[in-house]
Amino acid sequence: MSWQVWLYVAAVFIPLIAFTIQLLFVRLLGRLNAYLATGAIATAFVFSLIGFVSYFSQTEGLFKGHAVHQEGPASAGNEHAEHAEKPHEILVWKGSFDWITLGNDTMASAEQPSPSRLSIPLGVHIDNLTVIMFLMVTFIATLIHIYSMGYMHDDPRYPRFFTYLSLFCFSMLGLVASANVFMVFVFWELVGVCSYLLIGFWYEEKKNCDAANKAFVVNRVGDVGMLIGLGILWTTFGTFNISDLNHSLSDSRLRHEKNYRIVRDSAGDEVPVQLIETNAKGETVKTTYTIPYFMLAVAGLGVFAGCVGKSAQFPLHVWLPDAMAGPTPVSALIHAATMVAAGVYLVGRFYPLFTEEVLLYIAYTGGITLFIAASIAMVQTDYKKVLAYSTVSQLGFMMLALGVGGWAAGLFHLITHAFFKALLFLGAGSVYHSVHTYEMPVLGGLRKKMRITAYTMLVGTLAISGVPFFSGFYSKDAILAAAYYRVIVEPGQLKHIMLFILPAVGAVMTAFYMFRMWLLTFAGEPRGYPALAQDNHGHGHSAHGHDDHHAGNPYDHAHESEPIMTVPLLVLAFFSVFVGWTAWFGLPVDEAVLEYMLSYGAPVRSTDAWSVHWIAFASSIVIATAGIGAGLAYYAPPWAAIVPFWAPQRRYNVPVAFRRRFDPQKAAHRFSGLYNFLAHKWYFDEIYNAVLVQPTLALGRLCTEFDKRVIDGVVNGSAHLTALLSRMEGIFDKIAVDGLVNLVAKVVYVTGDWGRTIQTGRLRNYLMFLAVALVGLFVGVFAWIRG
Amino acid sequence: MSDLVLLTLLWLIPLIGSVAVLFIPKSMELAIKGVSLAATIVTFALTLVAFAEYVAPNSSASASLEARAKVNQVKADSVEGDADVHEEPGAAQSDLMVRRPWIPYFNIQYYLGMDGISLSLVLLTGLVSVLACLASWGIDKQVKGYFSLFLLLTASMMGVFLSLDLFVFYVFFEVMLLPMYFLIAVWGGPRREYAAIKFLLYTLFGSVFILVAVLILYFFESPLTTTGFSGHSFDIVEMTRIASTTGYYTHNIQQLVFILFFIGFCIKLPSFPFHTWLPDAHVEAPTPISMILAGVLLKIGGYGLIRLAWPLAPLGAQDWAFPVAVVGVFSILYGALVAMAQTDFKKLVAYSSVSHMGYVTLGMAVMNLAGAGKYYAYGVNGAMYMMIAHGITSTGMFFLVGVIYERAHTRDLNKLGGLLNIMPIYGAVSILIFFGSMGLPGLCGFIAEVFVVLAAFNYNRPLAILSAAAVILTAGYILWTLQRVFLGKSEQYKGLPDLTVREKVIAVPLVVLTVALGVLPQPMLLSWMSPSVQQTVNAVARGASQGQTGAGNTVASSQP
Repeated sequence: MSWQVWLYVAAVFIPLIAFTIQLLFVRLLGRLNAYLATGAIATAFVFSLIGFVSYFSQTEGLFKGHAVHQEGPASAGNEHAEHAEKPHEILVWKGSFDWITLGNDTMASAEQPSPSRLSIPLGVHIDNLTVIMFLMVTFIATLIHIYSMGYMHDDPRYPRFFTYLSLFCFSMLGLVASANVFMVFVFWELVGVCSYLLIGFWYEEKKNCDAANKAFVVNRVGDVGMLIGLGILWTTFGTFNISDLNHSLSDSRLRHEKNYRIVRDSAGDEVPVQLIETNAKGETVKTTYTIPYFMLAVAGLGVFAGCVGKSAQFPLHVWLPDAMAGPTPVSALIHAATMVAAGVYLVGRFYPLFTEEVLLYIAYTGGITLFIAASIAMVQTDYKKVLAYSTVSQLGFMMLALGVGGWAAGLFHLITHAFFKALLFLGAGSVYHSVHTYEMPVLGGLRKKMRITAYTMLVGTLAISGVPFFSGFYSKDAILAAAYYRVIVEPGQLKHIMLFILPAVGAVMTAFYMFRMWLLTFAGEPRGYPALAQDNHGHGHSAHGHDDHHAGNPYDHAHESEPIMTVPLLVLAFFSVFVGWTAWFGLPVDEAVLEYMLSYGAPVRSTDAWSVHWIAFASSIVIATAGIGAGLAYYAPPWAAIVPFWAPQRRYNVPVAFRRRFDPQKAAHRFSGLYNFLAHKWYFDEIYNAVLVQPTLALGRLCTEFDKRVIDGVVNGSAHLTALLSRMEGIFDKIAVDGLVNLVAKVVYVTGDWGRTIQTGRLRNYLMFLAVALVGLFVGVFAWIRG
Repeated sequence: MSDLVLLTLLWLIPLIGSVAVLFIPKSMELAIKGVSLAATIVTFALTLVAFAEYVAPNSSASASLEARAKVNQVKADSVEGDADVHEEPGAAQSDLMVRRPWIPYFNIQYYLGMDGISLSLVLLTGLVSVLACLASWGIDKQVKGYFSLFLLLTASMMGVFLSLDLFVFYVFFEVMLLPMYFLIAVWGGPRREYAAIKFLLYTLFGSVFILVAVLILYFFESPLTTTGFSGHSFDIVEMTRIASTTGYYTHNIQQLVFILFFIGFCIKLPSFPFHTWLPDAHVEAPTPISMILAGVLLKIGGYGLIRLAWPLAPLGAQDWAFPVAVVGVFSILYGALVAMAQTDFKKLVAYSSVSHMGYVTLGMAVMNLAGAGKYYAYGVNGAMYMMIAHGITSTGMFFLVGVIYERAHTRDLNKLGGLLNIMPIYGAVSILIFFGSMGLPGLCGFIAEVFVVLAAFNYNRPLAILSAAAVILTAGYILWTLQRVFLGKSEQYKGLPDLTVREKVIAVPLVVLTVALGVLPQPMLLSWMSPSVQQTVNAVARGASQGQTGAGNTVASSQP
């Protein structure tokens, strides 16, 4: 194993060690927990930076032939040789050991012909994607740790917060580095439980607990799918190893004549897959397994179901907006930048597993998700909810990109999105920290008091809207290019035109709702609570620290956050611009550097849509203009909000003709049906509650009743019957002595006192009856055997 | 220490303690408690001695039971007249096996022994008895009787796991009922008489089935005479060998024996539809007895399945595997659904046991023996792992329920709340143990569940999918419970004291084991347990393949 493997293993375990220390010595450490946690993740960041540099300095030839783009696979039938090398070339550092091995060596005796070992290993697999993910996760996590020291400063459970964060960092890094899908599942659940703990961090409020439970249970629904996928793969191939399976399935695709689909047998329903494994004697053998094509698709769908849950895709997207109940740094770290992107990451990681049909399903899932979420985001009044739906929507873009074959594009967007969305959430946290409300209608004009927050968030807004020179532009451009390629350029795919229309429309909506959010929060004049608008002026800073909305108008006590919070904002703003740049100072004449680093490890069957790059570029410009224009038209303040950040006291008026803006209230009124539909989030929660949750609870109650009435009815009934019989017997004995009068009395007593008979504890009678039954049963059985 | 002494002391010490307690004057409560605790601790220490002996490198104890049985022949075996008597019983060789004639006329032996399967359960029994004894400190009603019965119960449980002779097994099995009945009926809650008698009758009902199966095996005369085995034996090891290699027991008989054993042990397990005694017994039983009941007694059902039902009737098991798997899956789902609807904390935990024990049934039943049964081995290992994991988490859960009942005097989930802020240590321990029960990776329940579910995929995919789907329900009821008990705010329970030192002593081993078994399954358990499980799996696989060759009665012995 190379030293880099140990480097990454150390980077994974340092947060775990920090977590353990924090957990055990919480009383001793107290608030020092924060420094320990931050130090741990910062160390992990340094390690992953070393790994990053080491990796890309070893991949010679990565930047050679920089601008040479291969044609997509559909038209590349004669370029096999060039492609065939591709998946085998990339540099990988890996190492593993067996975590679980059943039985022992003596079992592999003559009566069991060479059983290959069926073990569950733990291992790491570091390739270019891992290296980049690792760097992103540790970097953003470090910044968010620093930010949290300011944001959570006054929280009574400050140390515990950092303990949970350390556990999360361990789980997330473990997930990224996992070499097999079983480990992915383990860490998948662990990040889920961290998410649960942190969403419900303020568990005194029932709302927060409900959100935490919902997040966990919805994720478990996805996990069941994943477990199904795991079960099918494991029982067919006997391995969980991602790269082994990827290799075999890529080989299969490479052998395809035309378009890199998975090769099936002559009948068309079995897929032969050749795996290299080690047998009991330690020799390397090639074994060919066959799996029905249908089962392979089901396995792919199962694994994807896990990703749907984790990455909040339709129809399991409902948990993510509620998850905003957690502290805002958590929303930034877990529910925007890292954990929710894990689903996309796994789809990218396990890409060769997905058959054509599954990829199409992934693309449509992404498309539907991005559209639904963007439409809901347009009408939210809570700025954190806007960001939450925006996250769902952006994850949809990534899934769609992967589904249409834009492997590098989707993962590129994952990285750029992590930066600008973390920025936006941290900015939102900074605003909340200052004004203690999430409601945009009572805000406005905050740019004057919170300049750093306002303008760093503007950078984030421009990035997510896809304005040139900001990182989001490059990744969205790549996604649109991939979608365009898949639908228009590949022959006969025009029926999937929605896969291009949905992201295009979604991107317009994105620009609209993001500008709406920014303008409502930072532009114009402060609005405040109508009732308080006049009399509460001068309340000033005395209201600071209250959570009560009515302690004063938010603007009055607004202030810029401390440097410990604004510095991470500035750093993230910097990266939100530059992380997507090309080698040509960000000019869109070339592929972005990061995208190039990613596409180095692109699997077979991913497309290279460079040829349609300019079309996507043009549509990106149109989209951004349309979305931003609509946002400005509706929400720009009537006197025009051009207030330069270098001189916040000056404003420049725009021409009068532009002042007759569109009125959002009128629009909402005119389309009230649609508005309500969107404001109720398409009624997903209501439908799920009625169709899934309530019936399950009802079924539980039904089973309980069944238990009580039917099963216990039989049990008690037979007991009563026995008791009755034995009483009858007693009665019969007494007939001769006491006569008929006593009998009548007895029967009355028996029936009247029925309920209590069981409690008399007349063991003697029951035992006698049982003995009789036993003898009878035994005699019967014995007679049957003999006969 | 010779095997005879060691293995005998394992059940004899609690028994001696049980009698000794009776001679202590009633007024000396502390002495009674002290003696009982000492007896359980010594017993536990002896189980650790046995464990050390078992896992020692090159230990002769870790050989298969079959191999050890050959070394430990009974001298002057009156029925079989076996010729090759190697040595004095148990002489010098320390291999955790004792074999002495007891009632030679009926070929009954005093036959005790351990392999990985029983050892893991013996260790569990030892630990849980110590913890339950500590948890019994608060008992103030008829202390003498309580502890005497408690120790008698411990002795009989030990005996069940140690026996390798069906007759001895059955004696211990029946002796166990008596103390349990009185412990519930005298020291229980308001409906204790009902619960106790329900428990007793249910279990006696099951015992009938087991007894009939045992007697059938004893009196059966096979048409096959070439095996050198003529029945009239209670020897579990020998009968396992015969059943798995020779086809001595015909197909029909195996089906019958299997179903009798299965029903008998299903009641103990318990599995749907024989589970309704469990919630009542748990709700009425005092806390320590609930701990024993969930932690150990239910495992006797599972142990019976893995030690008797499957190995003694592999052909029958093969035939019945599908319905049995269905029963397992149904129990998992049904238990979880009913648990979700409970408002009594203790009842909820009881139903969660029904659900979890379903995994044991399912893990045993997923008999796809292709590929030398290597996937099936995961199922059986998962079943065993579930028994140990559930033994730890459910002991912990019932203990924790008892703690809160003692303080808040209610178990109503709708009345509790906000306890995490009031009792932080208690809350943290509870959340961890409940997560362990929920099957969170890194904690003990996960390994068990995932083994069984994965093995099920190799048997029947729809059933596997259903069992996988149960994790949603499990998460649902566990998280909902945690929310209702620990989260939120509560004025009513403000000022409740956190765990006392004694309670912490009980909680710590459970917490440590919950984590350790989840993180290090191989060194903690599988490395020494799974070879024995593998032997059982191989025996079952061999036995079941007798039927596949189509001529179960004519296959000659493959043994020399």
